[in-house]
Amino acid sequence: MKHISPTQVAVDAPTRAPTRRALAKQQTRLKVLAAARRLFSEQGYEGATIRDIAAAAGMSTGAVFANFTDKSDLFREIMADDMEALTAAMRDAAIRGRNVEDALLKIFMAGYTFYKTRLQLARAAFSVSWDKDGGPTLRGMSSSTAFQDLFGEQLTAAVERGELSQEAEVKLRSQMLFDTYLSNFPQAIFEGWSLDALQARARDQIRILLAGARRG
Amino acid sequence: MNDADLGSPAQPVPARQSQKEATRQRVIAAARELFDSHGYQGTTIREIARHAGISVGSVFTTFASKGEILSEVMQARLEPLYAEIDRVMPHVRGSTADRLRTMFAVHFEFEAQHVRLFMSHIAAAYDWTLPPGARPYGRTPGLQEVIRDVLVKGQAAGDVRPDIDLQEVVDLLLSAYAWTYRLVITREADAKSLIKVMDRQIGLIAEGFAPRN
Repeated sequence: MKHISPTQVAVDAPTRAPTRRALAKQQTRLKVLAAARRLFSEQGYEGATIRDIAAAAGMSTGAVFANFTDKSDLFREIMADDMEALTAAMRDAAIRGRNVEDALLKIFMAGYTFYKTRLQLARAAFSVSWDKDGGPTLRGMSSSTAFQDLFGEQLTAAVERGELSQEAEVKLRSQMLFDTYLSNFPQAIFEGWSLDALQARARDQIRILLAGARRG
Repeated sequence: MNDADLGSPAQPVPARQSQKEATRQRVIAAARELFDSHGYQGTTIREIARHAGISVGSVFTTFASKGEILSEVMQARLEPLYAEIDRVMPHVRGSTADRLRTMFAVHFEFEAQHVRLFMSHIAAAYDWTLPPGARPYGRTPGLQEVIRDVLVKGQAAGDVRPDIDLQEVVDLLLSAYAWTYRLVITREADAKSLIKVMDRQIGLIAEGFAPRN
């Protein structure tokens, strides 16, 4: 047995040991997440198994399950990271908008550009979001709601600037803008529309949806 | 091979065809139930085969993917709906927005009977690995044609701007209609509350297609 002096124990145990364990756990999580992201991207959500993910991360399935309850838990974590990154990118894009219409258009385009390189993840996200079990959880995540709120924030700001009328029905209108943003994905990504074509379409859609709020 | 076979070359083919048709119908019936209870993601070809009591291989001799099976299920299901809509719509009076509201209300009431099935149909629209032959939500011609008809009549009545891109309005209405079903997932909304939300959305889109003064 290795001899440990009392002073060593005193120094190591209370402070460094838990930190090291926490760090190791954090590193394991990150490794699993990176492997899962890669496999979901290459093989799709249905195609990737926990066993494959564990192997790709160079660890046992037990080690994966110690950190994540199941595949959907892993997927939600990845989606949350992406949605946070995308929300930030959209917010940056919106600031450069000349008016509410332009800001919304920039938000739409930031989303389509972001997912052009994450096709499988986008497909999986849509699939899970309409799922009876996975849907409510995915849609209820704080990163999902923060993402949706972005659309409402733009309209509220436009009402404050006097660009849109006070009776703009911000809640319904922002919800519809969000739905429209999502509904373009089959064209945006799956049918391979050019970003220019998408932009023209999105601009028209935004104009139609804002029309009533401008008149008031 | 014997003489009987040579003498009646037409016979074996129909027999095989009717067997193939019977398999098809069994697959479609099994798939309809599974998509309605497990959703699009939760349903696999293997389960459909098991539920239909046939081998996975037999399913694949008739259908290339689960999306294609779902397309067949929906096509069979939506035919009577559009027959009904075609019968009713010419008699519906009122503004373009009101005629759209009536038309969508009929849809919500119809789909409410098997709402998970319809949501599977919507989910399939976001599965771009589907073969071109599959017709998920948005690629079925029926609904698009009905909406377009109402809008064209609206243009004739001076209710809809003549210079608007009709396809864009059709797409906006399709998107609003589909995503209203989200409320079934988040709030377990029934047909009545879905119709209420859709009525407001149609009002908002109508502001966008109304002629400019």
